[in-house]
Amino acid sequence: MLKRTGALAAGLAAAPLIAACQPGTTTPKGGSGKVVVMTDPHEFGDADVKAIQDATKLKIEVVENDLTRLYAMYAAGNPPDVFRVQAAGIPQYISRKMLKNLQPYFAASKVLKPDDLAPANNFYKWDGKQIGKGDLYGMVKDWSPDFTLYAYTKAFEDAGVKVPSDTAALTYQELHDLAAKVNKKAGAKRVYWGYVHSNNDQWIDRSAMNMLAEKGQSLYSEDFSKANLTGNPEAVKVFRYLYDLAAEGLHQTPVDPSPNWMGADFNNGQIAILQYGYWFSAMAESDTTKGKTVMLPAPTWSGTRRDPTMTATGWVISSQTKDPDAAWAVFETYMGGAPAVARASSGWGVPGLKSLYAKMPTDTPFQKQVAKVLNAELPYSDGVLQFNPYLGEETFSTAWKKHLEPALKGQISFDKFLANIEADVNAAIADGRRIVGQ
Amino acid sequence: MVGATRALERPAVARPAWWRRRRTRRALTFYAFVSPWLVGFIALGAIPLVLALAMSFTNYDGLNLDYIRVVGLDNYARVAGDRDALLSLQRTLVFVGATVALGLVVQLGTALLLDGPVRGRGLFRTLFYLPYVVPVVAGAWVWKIFTDPNGGLLNAIVNVVDPGFAMNWIVEQPTTVLVLFTVWALTGGGMVVFLAGLQGIPSELKEAAQIDGAGSLAVLRHITLPLLTPVILFQVVVSMIWSLQIIQQPLLLAPGILRGPGTLPPQDNYLYIVHAYHEIFVQQRFGYGAALLWLLFLVTLGLTLVIVRSSRRWVHYEEAQ
Amino acid sequence: MRAAALRYPALVIAATAFSLPTFWVLVTSVKKQSEFSSLRLFPSAPEWANYQLAITLADFARFATNSLVLATSYTVIVVLTSALVGYGFARHRAPLRDQLFVVVLAMMMVPNVVLFVPQFVLFAKLELTNTYWPWILWALGASPLLVFLFRQFFASFPRELADAAEVDGAGPLRVFVQIFVPNAWPAFAAALIFAYTWVWGDYLYPILLLNDANTTLAVKLATAYADPHGNPLQTVTMAGVVLYVLPLVVIFFVAQRFIIRGVVTTGLRG
Repeated sequence: MLKRTGALAAGLAAAPLIAACQPGTTTPKGGSGKVVVMTDPHEFGDADVKAIQDATKLKIEVVENDLTRLYAMYAAGNPPDVFRVQAAGIPQYISRKMLKNLQPYFAASKVLKPDDLAPANNFYKWDGKQIGKGDLYGMVKDWSPDFTLYAYTKAFEDAGVKVPSDTAALTYQELHDLAAKVNKKAGAKRVYWGYVHSNNDQWIDRSAMNMLAEKGQSLYSEDFSKANLTGNPEAVKVFRYLYDLAAEGLHQTPVDPSPNWMGADFNNGQIAILQYGYWFSAMAESDTTKGKTVMLPAPTWSGTRRDPTMTATGWVISSQTKDPDAAWAVFETYMGGAPAVARASSGWGVPGLKSLYAKMPTDTPFQKQVAKVLNAELPYSDGVLQFNPYLGEETFSTAWKKHLEPALKGQISFDKFLANIEADVNAAIADGRRIVGQ
Repeated sequence: MVGATRALERPAVARPAWWRRRRTRRALTFYAFVSPWLVGFIALGAIPLVLALAMSFTNYDGLNLDYIRVVGLDNYARVAGDRDALLSLQRTLVFVGATVALGLVVQLGTALLLDGPVRGRGLFRTLFYLPYVVPVVAGAWVWKIFTDPNGGLLNAIVNVVDPGFAMNWIVEQPTTVLVLFTVWALTGGGMVVFLAGLQGIPSELKEAAQIDGAGSLAVLRHITLPLLTPVILFQVVVSMIWSLQIIQQPLLLAPGILRGPGTLPPQDNYLYIVHAYHEIFVQQRFGYGAALLWLLFLVTLGLTLVIVRSSRRWVHYEEAQ
Repeated sequence: MRAAALRYPALVIAATAFSLPTFWVLVTSVKKQSEFSSLRLFPSAPEWANYQLAITLADFARFATNSLVLATSYTVIVVLTSALVGYGFARHRAPLRDQLFVVVLAMMMVPNVVLFVPQFVLFAKLELTNTYWPWILWALGASPLLVFLFRQFFASFPRELADAAEVDGAGPLRVFVQIFVPNAWPAFAAALIFAYTWVWGDYLYPILLLNDANTTLAVKLATAYADPHGNPLQTVTMAGVVLYVLPLVVIFFVAQRFIIRGVVTTGLRG
């Protein structure tokens, strides 16, 4: 903790900052009847706010989801009562005691019953050692098995290749070979990218984690103190595979990028195989791709199928909230009340409650095909991904992207590339551990 | 000549009592005029500045403050071993040099062209000004699709002359695109400043010179530019400070769309401030990032002082006394 | 006269080059979302619905009003205070003046990112977050950039200007208001354009200090035009940009009329 001498040296300057951070213990419970929610307003529109205000008689103040603002609100000792997180951030927040343990609330809730919770909610459990065990600290707003594929059938026709079956999972090797066949350039211009995945590499660590998990392995050592890449032959194989997709020009990369995001490129008919979860089916059919899009099961690395969510986007409650009951009331209504029903029937994700699964739309032929694939995937989506509690959400993927450019330009070898990622990530882990005193 | 008057050197003799009273009066007047800024600075500026400085001496990581610890000068010492910091500073200086120089030429050029009576002057001014108010998010998207090798307008135009031409601009020439985008977006602001500055130049001076047989280039060189030097100094200093700090432009010109703090520009556009931003938001090293930014502040201050010092030789002031 | 003959062609070429990306904003604003970044240069048919979406997705009128209130109040105050301060630095000598001016310049050089958290903490302690007060207080304290701008302008005014008035016995404030201000319209116009554009366009501080209900149009422009998963709808954004830019163009058009050659000659009148 604070070294006495150090505290004296910087004491004057830092005093207001530190004083500003003590949790507000003086305000009595009951608060002002106002609940501050930091989230993405797209996921939480005026209709949701109104529905919850009417149901709970509480006033809601929405604050735009923003990392600087979240930092600042914590520094001011006044964090939002409820805020939006994604899976990769959860263990870090929980181990820093920033989140409220919601287990008692779930146990008492008539709306959010533990038996009814979709498996993706396991990402909100952390027992100090691993994700998926222990008490619940939050819940997904909705989710998808995120490793599924979408194929643009016209690209397959152009290449004279049969579209794969939507009932059998491809192996990653088959997927690679297929992508190489449908990948197409005309001179310097791109016609089709073969296989674009991992949300343009923002989630590259999750792809690798899931592939490794099929073999019972992890990206990190058991105590999360190190990333295990160069020393683990299976990890080298996984990253070699992902690297080859980039090096062979099948995937969007820093040296062959698109000006847009991969979902939009798919809509424009520029991607043959795209990896996104069920949620993308809500927008997969554009004027160009309508009637030419099929959903395919998630590929498998070693035959042990796994198809969990990569993001588990949802809500948590701050441990410093002055009125936890009010915060819970808002949380509960958003997750189990009218807004949850509306989200379920929109088709923008699998509901966080199993009892709402039946609300997902199955009207069009495409929706029916999607529902068939989704139902076959759900049994494989119970697993979790073990995110590192000492790392920021994008530390790993940023290291990957940063060193990928020189590697693809031939400035560094694959081995050096992997070693560089490992070094960056391990340095960040070491810093994270030092901060919590380990 | 009105414009050519120089402040006279004050003789170094003992000053009479009345002058000293006048001096006090002048000082009081000065402080009265600058009091809004002075009070504002003390009330609103000082506390955040001290806190921001204090942050750079801690291990602050943006999360809750229970774990905050004072680490002394460790963050500053760490910079010396940070290869990315040094490389990115180098790139930043190149980028800033190019942006300020090209920007100055374009801004001053458009202002000079639009200073006199020209047909459609309001329209031309508006066309040059417009990019300045296009939000940077939208501007970046436009430049990305504009330079895109697949459906981009730029290559389509070049192809009219050179049909085989194919260039992926933001990959092969990222800094060129960044400089052009920045200059494009900034011209309007600089042009307004220079247009306003040109108003301060008495037209009699130019007319007199023209009667003496000076051509328009000679008038520009010997009358207009010298009298515009205070404004040129302003514009150089402001654009330099500004371009040292640009963060959104390189991130938005990165491949794909801006998505999360991990958005990574091509190596050539990985500028110093992008590095600091990444250290803060991706690596969660807020303390270290703050130290990087305070060093950038010192670099900026140093460069500014060099320019201001040198300005004593090339800037022409009409200051009282 | 050769240079003068080249002026018009030079203008037309420069303006065309400059306007291509701007023009592309317009073209993109009527493309279908699936045509953005596609191989097709021009839209198959103009998609006017983008404009309708731009207005409804962001509750345009409400956030435009917020921007208008915030930008107008900030601009009026900050231009006045900055002119006073800039005049002080330009025309009055006092101990510590040059050192203080370095502080003014230095305030422009502190990267925002390090100040965000402390500034938020300060305003949170004053209970002024989610209000427009921070902007009003900042405006009362003058803007370093505009102080610098005014200082450079006032410093270049002929010194006879002030001398003549002072001989008449006018006080410093009267000299400023009656002699300097009337001759400084171009500087005021430039400052007004800058201040207004800054507040209208800034979204970092509104995200930091305001909430989703009283935030500005710039924030919505950067965030509102997206599908429910936050993926951007660029063509709708471009339509939003066109609407968003219009007020600024009007302001510019009005303000730039003050920047017309011949209003000020020597500055010595009467």
